[in-house]
Amino acid sequence: MSRLHVLAAAAVLAVLGAAGMIFLYAPEDALQGPVQRIFYVHVSSAIAAYLCFALVVAGSATYLWRGSLRADRLARAATYTGLAFTTNTLVMGIIWAKPIWNWDPSRTWDARFTATVVLWMVYAGYLLVRRFAAPGRTAMRLAAVVGIVGFVDVPVVHFSVQWWRTLHPGPVLDARGGPALPPEMLLTFAVTMAAILFLAGVLIAIRYRVELVQEQRAELAPATLELATR
Amino acid sequence: MIAVRAAGLGQRFGSHPALAPVDLELAVGERLAVLGDNGAGKTTLLRLLATVARPASGRLELFGLDALTRRAQVRARLGYLGHQAGHYAQLTALENLEFFATLQGRGRVEAREALAGVGLEAAAGRRAAELSRGMQQRLALARAVLHRPELLVLDEPDTSLDGPGRALLGRLLGERTAVIATHDRALARGLCSRALLLRAGRAEGDPWQLRVVEA
Amino acid sequence: MAVTWAVARKDLRAEWRGREMLPALAQFVVLALVIANFAFDVDLTSGPRLGPGILWLVLVFAGLVAFGRAFAPEREQGSLEAMLLTPAGPAAIFAGKALAAALLLMAVEAVLLPGMAVFLGAPIGLQVVLAVLVATVGMAGLGCLFSALAAQTRARDLLLPVLALPLWIPFVVVGGRTVQAAMGGALVPGQPLVVLAALDILFVIVAALAARVVLDE
Repeated sequence: MSRLHVLAAAAVLAVLGAAGMIFLYAPEDALQGPVQRIFYVHVSSAIAAYLCFALVVAGSATYLWRGSLRADRLARAATYTGLAFTTNTLVMGIIWAKPIWNWDPSRTWDARFTATVVLWMVYAGYLLVRRFAAPGRTAMRLAAVVGIVGFVDVPVVHFSVQWWRTLHPGPVLDARGGPALPPEMLLTFAVTMAAILFLAGVLIAIRYRVELVQEQRAELAPATLELATR
Repeated sequence: MIAVRAAGLGQRFGSHPALAPVDLELAVGERLAVLGDNGAGKTTLLRLLATVARPASGRLELFGLDALTRRAQVRARLGYLGHQAGHYAQLTALENLEFFATLQGRGRVEAREALAGVGLEAAAGRRAAELSRGMQQRLALARAVLHRPELLVLDEPDTSLDGPGRALLGRLLGERTAVIATHDRALARGLCSRALLLRAGRAEGDPWQLRVVEA
Repeated sequence: MAVTWAVARKDLRAEWRGREMLPALAQFVVLALVIANFAFDVDLTSGPRLGPGILWLVLVFAGLVAFGRAFAPEREQGSLEAMLLTPAGPAAIFAGKALAAALLLMAVEAVLLPGMAVFLGAPIGLQVVLAVLVATVGMAGLGCLFSALAAQTRARDLLLPVLALPLWIPFVVVGGRTVQAAMGGALVPGQPLVVLAALDILFVIVAALAARVVLDE
């Protein structure tokens, strides 16, 4: 077994452990009932997604600065992982919002939700740029620009929607249902957060390896072809 | 003095190697013809030499300056003629040149001079879209020499030029260093002292023993 | 500055001679308003309520067309390459292209805004005009950046909306709110315009910095 295998197994165990704590250890929320248990995964996925995209920005900036192929590969790997966690966050958020807010668009499309949707669209665009640009340095350079400029936009979207909604009548529910959490909940959240971040790290490492292997195969392909025709 | 020094200059598009590493040295005033069939890598090599494209491998020095890190200085000293004319169809011949003169930090005087240099004074007020192919090619040549570059990189400059147009090519080159890609071997022999033959992205020796270029 | 102005003047002069974009875009805007009128079954009461949404939708799509054409032809005909080979900086060239595209979109707005009043009965005041004009600047910066980026790919018509629309959301949100308040008759003090102007400054700087990387092939 390679190191990646071990890490992957550990990540699965960590997530299973967190799931055990969420369903068996954490107390049920008095107001929201069992639905509230989504909170642990929803919020930690969101944080993991934002960290992934911060990594994309760091990798893209390093690539533009130094031309480092590794930094670009890391940015690519982090994009896929970040998109997976963003999708997870959005789906969980929608499932959670359905019974609690009964899907009221004026409340569901709050600043955080909108910013997360924009984040998803920006990095889906990042992958599209990679697909449609000439492979190699052009794709890397253009994608890096999208990765950085798109990230700048997210807090601005958050801010502008918040500004817009504060003028809008009607209360905005705080997604956490009260700031003070009982200690059992806090511990469960901490464990879930750690498990999700570990999972994200392992996923990035796996994707990095996939990208590396794909690059090597693309490099080898013409050479082997040449050998075969000789 | 060395005008062009390329070491292991190569290009690939994705996994497709477009140009195997080329070594090249050109003294000031020397003129090199780049020959080869379609798809041999002539345009790829010229785009690298003109700093239009970035090489996948190797180094390029023009006038002793690194072409990648000192791009602005290098570009100010070279003129490039590509495959496309690159004119604005709705602007007149003179307006096209005046526009590029402004970008070069030059003025109307140079634009008029360049236009006269390619024998297009009479067409100064005509829109680029109304010019014939050969006249468009002349206009593109005028743009390439507008800023009086020391090095000219010309990709098939003889395209759709008439007899007088070809004669004009020799006049424009003057004492300049030049790299010229062409299919016309007579023209290459007339204009250039050395030749480089490209075959399937690789540099080969010279076909008529001008001076063999090490590849 | 001389370069920026020369590039913008060249673009506007070519548009003036050819008259390609402006008539087509003006026609598009009028058609969009007519369709909106029927699609939403607009009457006197719903006009001011639906107006802001229709205004920004039409503006965003007109912008996509206007900015999409900013870099594609330059690249196809090889003139972008020729411009970049001159000592003029890519940022200055980009600024000129964006300036011309912004002015073009503003000319389209000169059709759109009166059209709003005629076809939808939406009240168009100074506040609305200012909000649209101020938003156009920042949208042009971002739009032209992604236009230049998409022009270097195989699917430029497809990529521009995918890339530009998410980043335009702040302009639509803030601008939409401003227009809504103005059309609803509520007096919104200078603040939303200040927010829009701040967005302009931020994104114009971001676009100018990024343009150097995008255009540096």
